[in-house]
Amino acid sequence: MNRDRRFFAGLVGVAAIVTWLIWTGITDTMVYYLTPTELLERMEDGAEQSERMQRGVKVSGDVLPGSLVAHTDELKHQFVVVDPDNRDVQLIVHFRHPLPDTFTDEAEVVMEGRYLGDGIFEATEVLTKCGSRYEALPEDMDDRDAGYGAEDPYAGYGDGDSYAGYGEVYPDAGYGAGELYVEATGEDAYARNGGI
Amino acid sequence: MLPAIGEFALWISLPITLWGAVMAFLGGRWGRGDLVLSAERSVYAVFALLAVASAGIIAAFLTDRFDFWYVSNYSSRNLETYFKVSGLWAGQRGSLLFWALNLGFFSALAVWLNRKKNRDLMPWVSGVLLLVIAFFIGITLFITPPFERLPFTPQDGRGLNPQLQNYWMTIHPPTLYLGFTAFTIPFAFAIASLLSGRLDARWIEVTRKWILTSWFFLTLGIVFGMRWAYEELGWGGYWFWDPVENASLLPWIVATAFLHSVMIQESRGMLKIWNMALVCLTFIMTIFATFLTRSGLIESVHSFALSLEIAYAFLGFMGVTFAISAILILWRLPQLRSDRQFESFLSRESAFLLNNLVLLGAGFAVLWGTMFPLITEGITGSKVSVGPPFFNQVNIPIGLMLLALMGIGPVIAWRRASARNLKKNFLIPTAVGIGTGVVLWVMGVRHLYALLTFAIGVFVLWIIAVEFWKGTRARARIEGENLAIAFTHLVKRNRRRWGGYIVHVGVVVMFMGFAGAAFDREVRQSMVPGESVSITSAFGHTYTLTYEGLSTARAQNMWQWIALMRVERDGQPLGTMTTERRFYEAPPQPMTEVGIRSTAFEDLYVILSTLDEQVGMGNDPQFQRATFQVMVNPLVPWIWYGGLIIAIGTLIAMWPGGPVPQQRAGSTGATPGRRDDEKGPGDPGIGAGADGDRSSAEPARTPVGAAP
Repeated sequence: MNRDRRFFAGLVGVAAIVTWLIWTGITDTMVYYLTPTELLERMEDGAEQSERMQRGVKVSGDVLPGSLVAHTDELKHQFVVVDPDNRDVQLIVHFRHPLPDTFTDEAEVVMEGRYLGDGIFEATEVLTKCGSRYEALPEDMDDRDAGYGAEDPYAGYGDGDSYAGYGEVYPDAGYGAGELYVEATGEDAYARNGGI
Repeated sequence: MLPAIGEFALWISLPITLWGAVMAFLGGRWGRGDLVLSAERSVYAVFALLAVASAGIIAAFLTDRFDFWYVSNYSSRNLETYFKVSGLWAGQRGSLLFWALNLGFFSALAVWLNRKKNRDLMPWVSGVLLLVIAFFIGITLFITPPFERLPFTPQDGRGLNPQLQNYWMTIHPPTLYLGFTAFTIPFAFAIASLLSGRLDARWIEVTRKWILTSWFFLTLGIVFGMRWAYEELGWGGYWFWDPVENASLLPWIVATAFLHSVMIQESRGMLKIWNMALVCLTFIMTIFATFLTRSGLIESVHSFALSLEIAYAFLGFMGVTFAISAILILWRLPQLRSDRQFESFLSRESAFLLNNLVLLGAGFAVLWGTMFPLITEGITGSKVSVGPPFFNQVNIPIGLMLLALMGIGPVIAWRRASARNLKKNFLIPTAVGIGTGVVLWVMGVRHLYALLTFAIGVFVLWIIAVEFWKGTRARARIEGENLAIAFTHLVKRNRRRWGGYIVHVGVVVMFMGFAGAAFDREVRQSMVPGESVSITSAFGHTYTLTYEGLSTARAQNMWQWIALMRVERDGQPLGTMTTERRFYEAPPQPMTEVGIRSTAFEDLYVILSTLDEQVGMGNDPQFQRATFQVMVNPLVPWIWYGGLIIAIGTLIAMWPGGPVPQQRAGSTGATPGRRDDEKGPGDPGIGAGADGDRSSAEPARTPVGAAP
């Protein structure tokens, strides 16, 4: 009995160590994951200038098309990220590392870094959200009834909101541009065909 | 034609699977051999049908059948042929079929290997396997149909994500899938053991090779994934603590714990409930890994598609599995009592138990970190992020504890270690380990975790080396063989034990490779041809890279910009290396290909970060301006060497056949270090079965399972 109790104590000991590691790990490293709007609100509050916000924050948003300025020589990138729900809220992002391959200036990005004030966000890490998908987007599956034309099926490839972007690069490949569809034009035809 | 046959095969595989499952359980319940035979034939049939279905998908890829939704989304005309074959697992729809195929293969193999053995367990085993297969076939048919057609035939497919157009695509996913699915066999045997009430250690002995097989593929799959990330993702690292990576690590961690705790049950008749719980947990974790990867519930760099139907299906399946396992274990609780009690903290049993607890702790930390953002959002509504800093902070100390246990476990005595045992086995290794730490500190290494890794690592290596040396020398003396022959015979005699030690050596080497990350160096420079950049590594080598120029090339489905670098190390020419920017056509997306030059101790790693916007507009060198990121990553090659050593060790331990481990203690020459503990079970061989007072109910162990 005594032995069992001792081993129970050992078990509790290991559990306590692991719990302590997890607890301190979370409190030491956790950062908030905010939208640009939430970030600016918290910053204006002042009360939220907590240690945690100083450590860093994760922000997601859409890159404002055409806003990317790159100085190749020094690897300085600057672009504007807007809140998808409120496009008036903007952050100017500074980033001193190579951008990911899937970055375009229409991409949805997740950034980690610090807010410097005056609407400037110094990012230490930039990831693109849908551009790096290994999978085709779920819209393709879930919105089958809507047909191919309706839902921006190419969003997953990060190159834009239209077939035009695809067509330019690869004129014969777009579903809308192929010879097979000479008789049917564009999206209405897919809808008539009953979608996918 | 073949795709149509494949689709048909997939449809009829479901009723056959369900028929087989019903026959298996009824046959087992009523003791009807004919029903059981029908169930086993169903297993073979299902495997054949799944193979035909998979062949159908591959045929659709190879013949560019873009009228299939799946093919049109993951292939294009100009895709390399081997990526068309690997299209089977490129996307969700195919990969769940591929999972079912792998499981079908292992199930058929298990049934065939046991056609004349373990007949009392086999009905239940077949039943469980068929039910699991039925779940995956059901998902494949009703949620993610790989054979779904488009109402029209597109001119071309959308192409495969360029990040997946890498040779590892043909190797890494199948390896991991083999590891995941192979673990279903031990799970099925465990459930069969619970259902039939035959609760001795036989299910463990039968599935020992299966456990090792699963562990072998899981380990290789994870290491391959690390290598792929290192080569492809282009940030100089091999592990990101991404949810999908964590998902593959979780079953590995629990399987490792299980792998060790079964040895206690075999040798000492303890931890029976624990082992049952672990085997069920490992199986659930393999399902959880697929769930996490395939449901897209957690945001990840890999960002697979979000699909709630799949999420619910998997959650349901995991819930049912958990409930059934728990109920069965509770039902059999009285028969799962330990034969013995723990006697002392200072014993091999408790070292193994501690190893288990620490491993599960690590698993829990990884699980918690992965799920924490989701849980927090669910409870408080605010989104938080937990990243690599968390996982490193928690798992490095845990990893170091495990490392130390790898040294302690193999040589501490069973039952109760005497002061003499401890002194004899640990005094010198501890001194050597501490000495290593001191020497490194004097040499200027100040990174605490790195110092600890090397000190503990050397401690473990010393212990293992001494074990090998003692065993070989004793055998050479007793049998009159020379050392080389004695060594081979020693390993052959108890491959499981010595193979296990070799695996430990591999893990130590790998951990030292991880510690190398503390000394990474990096420079970034924008250059025109003719300019050069220098970087000094942690080992004191200075690399000078001269940018020679940029060239273009055309491959089957991409354009390449290739930057050529001339490399010198400490003034000595080392040849050239290249790094590329690629522009894929389908889908249109750029990719960076890094250049890696490995030496035994460090990797020179070059990334072509950015090309000037005017690149290629003229012959002037100014138009070839590019920015390079140059890194020297010390000891990264050791991670791959470690992986190789682990693979070799596991193969030695799991290879079919070989002599049955001897029942005589000491005759293998394996015990000289522990002769002083003669009163305790003298044999140190893990599962070598020298434990004289074992209950005779446990049959002699014959290598079965994977052994033909």
